[in-house]
Amino acid sequence: MSDISPDATDARRIAEVERDRVRFEEEALELSDQVYRVARRMVNSREEAEDLVQDTYARAFRAWQQYQSGTNLRAWLLRILTNLNIDRGRKAQRSPDSQPLEEGDYFLYNKLEETLPDENPDEERVIERLSQNVVVEALAEVPHDFRDAVVLVDIGEFSYADAAQILDIPVGTVMSRLHRGRRILKASLAEKAVA
Amino acid sequence: MAHCDDCEQMMQPYLDGMLSDEEVAEARAHLKACPWCERRFKFEEKLRHFVAVAVAATEPMSDALRIRLSELRSSQT
Repeated sequence: MSDISPDATDARRIAEVERDRVRFEEEALELSDQVYRVARRMVNSREEAEDLVQDTYARAFRAWQQYQSGTNLRAWLLRILTNLNIDRGRKAQRSPDSQPLEEGDYFLYNKLEETLPDENPDEERVIERLSQNVVVEALAEVPHDFRDAVVLVDIGEFSYADAAQILDIPVGTVMSRLHRGRRILKASLAEKAVA
Repeated sequence: MAHCDDCEQMMQPYLDGMLSDEEVAEARAHLKACPWCERRFKFEEKLRHFVAVAVAATEPMSDALRIRLSELRSSQT
């Protein structure tokens, strides 16, 4: 039996909770650059991304006890962010059927290769035809449901399962959107880089 | 052995590690014999990296936002 008074036990518990909260906040803040990077590509402007990230952290700090320690905190934060983005009136995901058909996976390479004088150039020379600005612009033009999958998996380096949880869609849907999103991105890159 | 069209279809799942062992063997056999497809696979790998780097280098988080986020902490002193 412990001879510590109930008051002392409570005080210790409160101190422990406070310590957990501080640790949670520090860990979440350490991820802010990565959260912002993903958020910035999910929305259309810097202002929108900043507001969204700020609201995400405000909500996360209020609801921190709902986070299960040891699970993926970055995914948890981005799940909040995605929900807030939907609450802000982001349009419902359009049916993939209404999307323009993307080109095949070799399309971009073939288009870029045509701009080079030599036959069968090295892939290194082909990729040099692209600039960072063109990539960022082309990505912004990918319809958001496809873009989100590309941003989370290819830029955020999330697993399919984490991306599925963040977007609240089945894993199979993440995979098909990723596949099509990359193709749409490449078609858009081809159009910009070759223009 | 797969044709170039089949190889193109397999590119994304191949690079994502989503093919069966049998399909991987088929893709590898084709790539070994086809420098044309091999260059396109290598390009795709480099492109994914290039996209991630381009995005990371563009518009990083502002210091103003960083400060606002840290002000949201309950443990502000």
